[in-house]
Amino acid sequence: MFKKLLCATALSAFASTAIADITFVVPQKPGAGTTVWTEIVARELEPFLGETINIELIPGARDIPGFNKWHNELRFEDDHFMVSHGGNGVSFLQEDVDYNYAEYESIGLMNLNIITAIRNDADENAPSFAAGSGMVPEAFAMTLLICGPDKTVDEYVQCFKDNVTWVSGMSGGERRLAFKRGELTATRENPAAFKKHVMPSIEAGDTRLWFHHGILDAENAQHIDDPNYPRYQLEILFEQKWGVPPSGEFYNAYVLVKSFRDGLQKAIWANKGNPNSARLQAALTAMTQDETAMANIVAKVGDYEWLIGAAGDQQRDTLMSFVTEDALRNLVKFNTEALGLASVYKDNLTE
Amino acid sequence: MEIILAIFVGTLYGLIIGLIPSAGATTGLVAVFGFIGWFTAFDPYLGVVFVMSVVAASTTGDSYSGVLLGIPGANSAAATMVDGFPLALQGQATYALSAAIITSTANGLIWGTLTFALLPWYANLIMIFGIPELWAFVMFALATVGFISSTFWVRSIIAICIGCFIGLIGMDPVTAADRYTFGWNYLADSVQLMPFVAGLFAVPEILKGITNNKKVAQHTQSQKGQTWQGVKAAWQYKWDGLRGGVIGAVIGFLPGLGGAVSDWLSYSATTAAHPKEKFGNGNIKGVIGPEGSNNAQKATSMIPTVLFGIPGASFAAIVMALFMYLDFELGSPDLVYDDRFFSSLFIGFMGATVLVAIICLLFTRWIAYITHVPYWIYGPLLLLFVTWACVQYTGGWEDYVILFLCSVLGILAKHFKFSRPAMLIGFILAERIESLSIQMSTLYTIDKLLQRPIFLSLCVAALVVFIYGVFYNKRKIDYV
Repeated sequence: MFKKLLCATALSAFASTAIADITFVVPQKPGAGTTVWTEIVARELEPFLGETINIELIPGARDIPGFNKWHNELRFEDDHFMVSHGGNGVSFLQEDVDYNYAEYESIGLMNLNIITAIRNDADENAPSFAAGSGMVPEAFAMTLLICGPDKTVDEYVQCFKDNVTWVSGMSGGERRLAFKRGELTATRENPAAFKKHVMPSIEAGDTRLWFHHGILDAENAQHIDDPNYPRYQLEILFEQKWGVPPSGEFYNAYVLVKSFRDGLQKAIWANKGNPNSARLQAALTAMTQDETAMANIVAKVGDYEWLIGAAGDQQRDTLMSFVTEDALRNLVKFNTEALGLASVYKDNLTE
Repeated sequence: MEIILAIFVGTLYGLIIGLIPSAGATTGLVAVFGFIGWFTAFDPYLGVVFVMSVVAASTTGDSYSGVLLGIPGANSAAATMVDGFPLALQGQATYALSAAIITSTANGLIWGTLTFALLPWYANLIMIFGIPELWAFVMFALATVGFISSTFWVRSIIAICIGCFIGLIGMDPVTAADRYTFGWNYLADSVQLMPFVAGLFAVPEILKGITNNKKVAQHTQSQKGQTWQGVKAAWQYKWDGLRGGVIGAVIGFLPGLGGAVSDWLSYSATTAAHPKEKFGNGNIKGVIGPEGSNNAQKATSMIPTVLFGIPGASFAAIVMALFMYLDFELGSPDLVYDDRFFSSLFIGFMGATVLVAIICLLFTRWIAYITHVPYWIYGPLLLLFVTWACVQYTGGWEDYVILFLCSVLGILAKHFKFSRPAMLIGFILAERIESLSIQMSTLYTIDKLLQRPIFLSLCVAALVVFIYGVFYNKRKIDYV
């Protein structure tokens, strides 16, 4: 055992000094969610790629500077690829960022869903919920559920203010603890975190599933029910409660923002025409077909659908089709007036 | 055999990281990402032992640079420095360090045992401390600034305000818009803790040493016999150390407060407990108090981290990510029943706590001679280490600029006698006070708050401590 440890240490030290062939740029600090995701996927991907993958962290405010730097400089280097997350997708819609998904090709991305839960003793029509660090599609979803159909955006804004306690300045850890203590009556998680942090409370009878956003079906440009949590998709619950399916300008803004966050939750991008893209896509395909590699990834980051190469591009194109002038304007209006966020309307997105 | 090896290597690594000025446990753990995967190849539990060894050893090791060089090894060691560095200047470095190591080790063993042996039981306790209680606790910590402010109390208040302002640079938590960034995007992610601490404390001391071109210790004394004196002092003032341990344990238990708060609070409690004594010019109790808290805080920080997957401190967030690599999902119910995992936590932390104490006590006498080496020999090297630790954030020119600006602030504060410890506390607490205030005012009405006895008690305590500290505490510390 001792010799094995020493040998492995020496080999690993040698390996780590080898020159990396591919670089993944991550817009976060060490230990952050996407950084850890990238480390895990990169280590599993390396054997299929036959090359080492270097991870370059470029952290900054709301994870924007790293993506901007890749867009403006690094993407023109054929060995540099970008790893982005859903927050980048939301920022793309409402902040002055340099990056633009339309200019890239997808290596692969993970399609995700976010699930919400509410405490059993709480009123669904008057929840208290953590704001997070930026725009949260759950605000739109709960406004729709609480306020019903056929309202103007101004009426939805007022209805949200009247009924929802929106708590700013909470980190993920604080949110989880506050929910456990009952200070927040509702919470949200991705599927892996939901199992870890919320399911025990549901099993104990303290909490119930509230709603989820559904999974984006890129081919048909619509969200479908999550088989892991059937019949809890917002659209289904809305129709059950109000008798009609959700529609209208406010709903379109909701579809836009949830799609860009969840549909691009974890994505690897290359500059268009990058000669290394095909190699990387092939390696990613091989990795997703390997049971051992996928078991390792699923165990650490959860079981999500992978869309590779052309499928990823199709997902991106579908998302871009949701970007309309009305949807963008209403997104910014709700963000500013209901959530108090400093959002900007980007007319260049609809040109 | 492999467990002993993991403890030994982890301890040495943690000790070296702890010795590097401005580095500390968090920086040391980030570097572990590069090779944590090795452990999954044979035994992930061995990885747990290794990581916990790094945590324990770096916490003890970071006292060295604070005491010997007047440069905190980590932000949490800044409190030890206030009385430890003057002792080193008086030629009593080994005395200060051995007292620090014994106190830190004793509290590490006590709170390590209580933490890891009773871990599953704490889940109920942590639910009692809600947002109002955390807010009141942070206010209590801020109120203790009265005890660590210098004789120039107006300048201390200004220093706190400057620290708070710099701590608020970044993103407005309500609007998510940039705030006080002066158009510089880099600042939108806040001023990072490491360059602030390094600029405030490390660079001014290094530059002073280099420009004076003299030994750190002005009154050379033999280090012989000081180890035993330090051990005796740790025993003689054991209540100061134990009080620090309790404070560190409570703060470690409360997620998000961090090591710096616990060490300063312990330091303030020590000065308050000895109102007739002078601090800041080499009082050994000022070393023993904060040193009681650091290892205790590290141990109890693991409670919310392990039980809920909620990091109790910044280092714990890195530990959590490292454990994820090893396939241990902190916060998941299954892990609570994994006896081997808990044994590994316990063995790693306790083993390294004991081992690093033995190493330190054996070699402190010789390490302390660094204070007798002319500064021009190692001053530039220290500056390199500090710079290296501070540019680990992005590695870009902005990291260097912010270190430079913080250094200018530190030099000016030192020259014009603005309390640098007070500035650091303001910086550390500003964001927490703001976010907890927002949360509390959104979720609680006055009526609801008045029904919370722990909250009310802490508010009263904060008020009393602040009034006493500012207006009745005549024995201000000299360190600025």
